[in-house]
Amino acid sequence: MSPDFLNFIETVLNGLMTGVMYSLVALGFVLIFKASGIFNFAQGVMALFAALTLVGLQTGQVPFAHLINAVLGTDVHNWGPGLPTVLAILLTMAVMILLAYIVEKVVLKHLVNQEPIILFMATIGLAYFLEGFGDLMWGADVKALNVGLPTGGSFWWEDVTRGWASEGSEYFGMYIDTLDVSAAIIALILVIALTVFSQYTATGRALRAVADDHQAALSVGISLRGIWVIVWSISGFVALVAGIMWGAKSGVQFSLSLIALKALPVLILGGFTSIPGAIVGGLIIGVGEKLAEAYVGPLVGGAVENWFAYMVALAFLLFRPQGLYGEKIIERI
Amino acid sequence: MLYRETGDFKSNYAADQQTFPIKSERYLFWAAMAFAFLVVPFFINDYWEKSVIVPLLVWAMAALGLNILTGYCGQVSLGTGGFMAVGAYACYKLMTGFPDLNIFFVVILSGGVTALVGMLFGLPSLRIKGFYLAVATLAAQFFLVWLFNKVPWFYNYSASGQITAPERTIFGIAVTGATAPPWATYLFCLAMVFIFAWIARNLTRGQLGRSWMAIRDMDIAAEIIGVQPMKAKISAFAVSSFYIGAAGALYFSVWLGAAEPTEAFGIDKSFLVLFMVIIGGLGSILGSFLGAAFLTLMPVLLKNVMVGGLGWPTDLAAHIEIMLVGGLIVFFLIVEPHGLAQLWRLAKEKLRLWPFPY
Amino acid sequence: MNQHIDPGSLRADDGIERGGMLLHVDNISLSFGGVKAIADISFDIKKGEIRAIIGPNGAGKTSMLNVINGFYHPQEGTITFRGEKRRHMRPHRAASQGIARTFQNIALFKGMSTLDNIMTGRMTLMRSNILAQALWFGPAQKEELAHRETVEKIIDFLEIEHIRKTPVGRLPYGLQKRVELGRALAADPALLLLDEPMAGMNLEEKEDMSRFVLDVNQQFGTTIALIEHDMGVVMDLSDRVVVLDYGRKIGDGSPDEVRNNQDVIDAYLGVSHD
Repeated sequence: MSPDFLNFIETVLNGLMTGVMYSLVALGFVLIFKASGIFNFAQGVMALFAALTLVGLQTGQVPFAHLINAVLGTDVHNWGPGLPTVLAILLTMAVMILLAYIVEKVVLKHLVNQEPIILFMATIGLAYFLEGFGDLMWGADVKALNVGLPTGGSFWWEDVTRGWASEGSEYFGMYIDTLDVSAAIIALILVIALTVFSQYTATGRALRAVADDHQAALSVGISLRGIWVIVWSISGFVALVAGIMWGAKSGVQFSLSLIALKALPVLILGGFTSIPGAIVGGLIIGVGEKLAEAYVGPLVGGAVENWFAYMVALAFLLFRPQGLYGEKIIERI
Repeated sequence: MLYRETGDFKSNYAADQQTFPIKSERYLFWAAMAFAFLVVPFFINDYWEKSVIVPLLVWAMAALGLNILTGYCGQVSLGTGGFMAVGAYACYKLMTGFPDLNIFFVVILSGGVTALVGMLFGLPSLRIKGFYLAVATLAAQFFLVWLFNKVPWFYNYSASGQITAPERTIFGIAVTGATAPPWATYLFCLAMVFIFAWIARNLTRGQLGRSWMAIRDMDIAAEIIGVQPMKAKISAFAVSSFYIGAAGALYFSVWLGAAEPTEAFGIDKSFLVLFMVIIGGLGSILGSFLGAAFLTLMPVLLKNVMVGGLGWPTDLAAHIEIMLVGGLIVFFLIVEPHGLAQLWRLAKEKLRLWPFPY
Repeated sequence: MNQHIDPGSLRADDGIERGGMLLHVDNISLSFGGVKAIADISFDIKKGEIRAIIGPNGAGKTSMLNVINGFYHPQEGTITFRGEKRRHMRPHRAASQGIARTFQNIALFKGMSTLDNIMTGRMTLMRSNILAQALWFGPAQKEELAHRETVEKIIDFLEIEHIRKTPVGRLPYGLQKRVELGRALAADPALLLLDEPMAGMNLEEKEDMSRFVLDVNQQFGTTIALIEHDMGVVMDLSDRVVVLDYGRKIGDGSPDEVRNNQDVIDAYLGVSHD
C-alpha cells in the first residue's frame, strides 16, 4: 500500500475516533429529546460541568473558593489531597442526578405545555447559568483530568501499520491515540447498555411510552415528572462520560461546551430521535471533518473543521429534512 | 390621571391605526425623543458614550433585526454574529474602497449587502423549520467568521488581520475614527436607530408584517389563505439581515473602531442578541429596545457594584454575570414569555384602570 | 348588514353565469405511502350553490378539500377551476385564484388580533411593495385603509365588532370559528370551502353560523362547499350533496335523493363492508 493511501486510512481512523466523541454528546441530546421533546442545548455544558466537578473533587478543591476569598478576604483553595477517582466519579454522578432533579423542579415543571422552541431557549438559558455556576464553583482555569485511562500513541499499531507500506517507501506507521480507542470502546458499551435499558426494563418501557405520547403515558399511570428526572439523570451520566473523555483528551475548559454545537449537525444527520442515528451521524461528521481538513483545508487556509460539519448538515437538510433515520413527515391541516 | 383613553375618540381608521393611539402616550413618546435628541447630546461624555449608550443603540438595532426574523416571522436564527460580521466587513470595504461615500450611505449599503447574504442563508428555511433551521443558521455563523479570518481581501491584507475604521464625517463632523466627539457618534447612532425603528414599525403593521406573523403562527394555514411562504420568509431574512448588517456596521465603525472576526462576532454575540429579543419580548419593537437596554445596562451595573463597589476580581463578576443572564432567561420564559414589553403593557393596563381597578 | 362586501371585485366577475360549472373534480386519486385516501372521485360544483360533502370519519372529505386548494397533490386526476385545468398547484396560487378556506381544527393566527387575522385574509388582494410599506405614509396607508373599510364591513356582518382588537388566542371557540369565516370571506372568494364550520358548537351557535353561511351565499352570491356532520344542517343548507365513504364516492345529488340512497344509508348505519 502506498503511503498516501495509508495516510488516508489514518485520517479516516482519526475521524472515526473524533466521531465517537461527537456521538457521545449527541446521545445525551437524543435521550432527552426522545423522552420529552426537549432539545437540550445545555448538554455540552452539562459535560463541562460534570468534568469540572469531577476534577474539583479529585483534586480536593474548595467549591466557590474564588467567591469565598473575594467576600471574606480569605485565601482558601484546597481542603485536602482530594478523593480517589472512583469515589469522585460516583459523587459527581450524584451531583448530576441532583442537577436533573433541580432542573425538573425549577425549570421544566413550569414549562410543561410550552412550545418546543420556548423550551429550547430555556435550555440555552440553562446552559449559560450552568456555565457561570460551574466557573464560579470551580474556577475557570484549564484543568487537566486524569482518571487513569491510557493516553498517547499506540506503538503497537504504529509497528503493525509500518509493515503495510509498500517496499522502500518512507512510512513510519499510523498514529492512533489510545485514549480515543478507550473512548470508542466505552461509547460502544454505553450504547449497548442504553439500548438494553430502554428495551428490557420497565423504566425503559415507560420512557418509550412517554416519548410516543405524553397524554397516553400519563393516562396509564406513568409519572411524567419522574420520567423526566430519570432521563435527565441518564443524560447527566452520558454527559459525565463525555466530559471525562473530552476532558482527558484536551483538558477541562470552556471549549468543552462548544462540542455541544458540533453535536447539532450530528443530530441533523442522524435524526433527533434515533440512537443508532446519533452514532452513525457522529462518525460521518467526524470522518468528513478530518478528511476535509486534510484534503480541502490546505487549499483554503485551514480551519475548515470550524464550519464543515454545519455545511454538511445544511446541504443534507435540503435533500432529506427528516434525517437519515427519521420518518417522512406528512403535514396535516 | 395622566394616562387616559376615555374621551380620546377616533373618528376614522387612520387615527385608529397610529402607533400611539392614546394621547398621553403619544406626548410621552415625543417628550422622550426630544430629550434624547436635544438634551442628552449636551451632557454625554466618553464613558457614557462608549460603554453605555452607543452599545445600547447598536444592540437595539441588531435586536430589532432578529426580532423581525424570530419574533415576527418565527424563524430562529443563531447566525446574528456572522451577519453582523458581514455588515462590519462590508462597511470596512466600502469605507476604504470609496473614501468619498458618506458614512450614512455606507451603513445603508452594508445593510444591503448583509440582506443579500441573509437571503442566501435564508433559503433553507423554505424546507426546514425550528431547530433544524437554527442549525442551518449556525452554518452561516461559523462559515462567515471563518471566511473573514481566512480571506485577506476582506481585511485589505493588513498584517494583524484586524480591520480599523478610518475617520468619516457627516456635515463636516467626524462620527467615526478616534477623534469623533461622543455627542456626534451618539446622535448618528440615535438617528439611524430612530429611522429604522420607525421603518420596522411600518413594515410590521402592514401587509408584509401580517404575512410574517401568519407564517409564524400557522405556516400551513397561512399558505392556504394566500401568503406566499417563500416571499414571506425570504423577505423576513432580508429585512432582518439588513438591520443586523447595519448594526454590525455601526458596531465596527462607530463603537469599536477596530475589530477582529473571532473576538467581535463570535457565536456568543448571536446568543446575546437572541437573549435581548427574548427578554425584551418576541414580536415587539419596544421589546427590542427594552431587551437591548436590559442586557447592556445590567453588566455595567453589576460591574460597578461588584468590581467598583465590593472590589471583587473582574473574572468573578463575569461568572456571576453569565449565571444571572442565564437564570434571567429561564425566569422570563417561565414567568413572562412575552418579555419586558408585555410587563409594560400590563403596567399600562393597570394604570389605565387606576385608581378604580374594578 | 346588507352591504355588499366588495362591489368592484374582479373575482366575482369571471364570465361564468350562476348555475354554470365553477369547479370540476375529475378522477382524483390520492394516497399516502400506499394508503389510499381518495380513490377515483369526480364531482362538480356549480356557481352560486351550496355544495355539501358528507361521509363518515376518515372518508376523505378533508383530503378532498386539501386537493382542491392545492395543499395535497393527487397522484391522478385533475381539477378544473373556472375553465382552467390543473394538477399541481401551490396553495397560495389557489388562494389568489379565489379559493378560500376554513379549517376543521381552527387554524387562526393566534398571536394576532381579530382585525389582523381578517386583514391577512386580504393578502392576495393587496399590492403595495416593500418600499411603500416601509415609508407607510402614502400609497401603503391608502391601500391599508381601503382594505380596512372592507374588513370592517365583514366584522359588522359577522357581529364581532367588540373583539376587533382582541388576540384571537383568547377568544372562545365559537367566536374563533366566526373569525375564521371572516378571514376566508375577506379574500372575496369565488369558492369558499368550509371544513366543519359547526363542529363543536351548541345549538344557538349553530343557528348563528348557518345564518351566516346562508347570508354569504345569498347576498354575495358566493359559491360554498362545506363539510358537515350535522345532517339537519346539511339538509337545510345545501343545494346538492356528495357523499364519500372510504375514499370513494357513494352518492351525489339533492339532499332528498341522497337521503334515500341505499349505499348512503348503509354507510351511515354501519353495514359491514365485505
